[in-house]
Amino acid sequence: MKIKMVRKIIFLAGLVILATALCMAEVWKAPDQEKAREKAKKIVPFIKEYKDDCKINRKICLMDAGISIKDVKDVYFLLDSPIIKKREDHYEPVRFAHKRHAALIQDCSMCHHYRPKDENALETTRCSACHQDSFNPDHPERIGIKAAYHQQCVKCHTAEAKGPVDCKGCHLQKVPDHKDLVKLPDNADPFQVTAECLRCHDTQGEDMLKTAHWLWKGPSPYTTGHRKDIMHGKGTTALNNY
Amino acid sequence: MQFSRRNFFKFMGVAGASVAALPSSARAWKSKAPPDSYGCLVDLTRCVGCRKCEEACSEVNKLPAPERADCQCTIFDRKRRPDDKAYTVVNRYFTGKLDQFDNPLPTYAKVQCMHCQDPSCVSACLAGALTKDETGAVKYDVSRCIGCRYCMVACPFEIPAYEYHNPITPKVMKCTFCYDRISEQGGLPGCATICPTEALTFGKRKTILKVAQKRLKENPGKYIDYVYGEKEVGGTSWLYISSVPFEKVNLPALPNKPLPKLSETIQHSLFSYLWSPLALFGVLGAVMYKSNKVQEEPQNKGGA
Repeated sequence: MKIKMVRKIIFLAGLVILATALCMAEVWKAPDQEKAREKAKKIVPFIKEYKDDCKINRKICLMDAGISIKDVKDVYFLLDSPIIKKREDHYEPVRFAHKRHAALIQDCSMCHHYRPKDENALETTRCSACHQDSFNPDHPERIGIKAAYHQQCVKCHTAEAKGPVDCKGCHLQKVPDHKDLVKLPDNADPFQVTAECLRCHDTQGEDMLKTAHWLWKGPSPYTTGHRKDIMHGKGTTALNNY
Repeated sequence: MQFSRRNFFKFMGVAGASVAALPSSARAWKSKAPPDSYGCLVDLTRCVGCRKCEEACSEVNKLPAPERADCQCTIFDRKRRPDDKAYTVVNRYFTGKLDQFDNPLPTYAKVQCMHCQDPSCVSACLAGALTKDETGAVKYDVSRCIGCRYCMVACPFEIPAYEYHNPITPKVMKCTFCYDRISEQGGLPGCATICPTEALTFGKRKTILKVAQKRLKENPGKYIDYVYGEKEVGGTSWLYISSVPFEKVNLPALPNKPLPKLSETIQHSLFSYLWSPLALFGVLGAVMYKSNKVQEEPQNKGGA
């Protein structure tokens, strides 16, 4: 009996120690993510002049230099340049799997399309070394970093019919914290909750009234992928649609 | 002497035309295009139809948020025009182009005030409410506007809109070229700032015209070899390049001469030194004098 008690106490004490140790320790962060975050913050010097090679030439140069997937040091990038954020900040940064793309495409020249004119420079450079702020009057033909990313990604994803081409396919949307936005009394009733949602989301409310969810028959125009008409519904002839 | 209605018009027409030609050659019409204005290039091959420009525009200009900003599912089903609640809109056109999987390829085209180099609206404005600024923007001053809406009739692109719902303090609404922003150093219009693919290129008009021509030259076969807005109605601040014919994306074929040229030439030559009203009333006076005389004579004879 006593032994059992002692065991229990020891077990509980152990649990408490473990819990405090967990609380004391910092929240675990993915090392890759942290590294990528640091790297994304850095603005590299602007490369003014580039070597105007044709695409085939560039591919040959990269092959001659012996650059392959083994040389890809950065597995993962966070496309979160302060150059973009200076102007606007609507979406969460894209998480770009660099090595995975390199392995899939097997052609570095798809993205590393030019190289610096300086012969001593590395064969491949960061996107943001050449593409920085948009509409630079000194380099009017050079597109900015945001456009470079979007044009490159969308073009390739469309051509390959692989990978997302819509905004939310790559970005997480910056949703404001609804803790501060929602204002409800304690123990709010369902009507109050609905009214509070509709305070901002009135379009969504209007849309809902046009769908079969509300009418119990007919098409649901704004529900992508579920637009099929329900001609017989609980609203008219059928007891159940299933 | 019987001066019939037909004869009167004939006489006036011939007289008017013959003298109107004289002073017009003496003072030729001159373009008032600002020398170093800004411009914006729209590359329709780059536009992905995200409508972020609409969102940014409404935010910058404090207009109501665009309809269904986050959802592109049904908004393109109908063609929209810029109106009193939106300075710019993006439309989708299917022009018959197919992608590699034989699906119809959409072309998206943004519409807004083109900020003509020699704007018809400015020429038509009675009150001087519309002015062409040296930045290239066609500015609107509500305090001068009398609400005649001549600008809406004059615009070849049918851009200015009117706040019909606001009977007390209505305004003519159209793209401002973000005048306040671009007059600052390094300032950009709202739409160009946000465009994710740089389908909009902002800069000095001369520079971006060169950029456009370079892009056409470096991508043979991709574009139609034409910069829309370079010469249309004497040139516009907003330029378009495209891979599909411009009429198919609702950019109308327009003459190359500035539209105010003809109307202003006629007006200015007819009314310089008020010679034409003077001539008209002179002729009318002479006619009256003569016909009065004719009427008086028989009366005098009868009385005698």
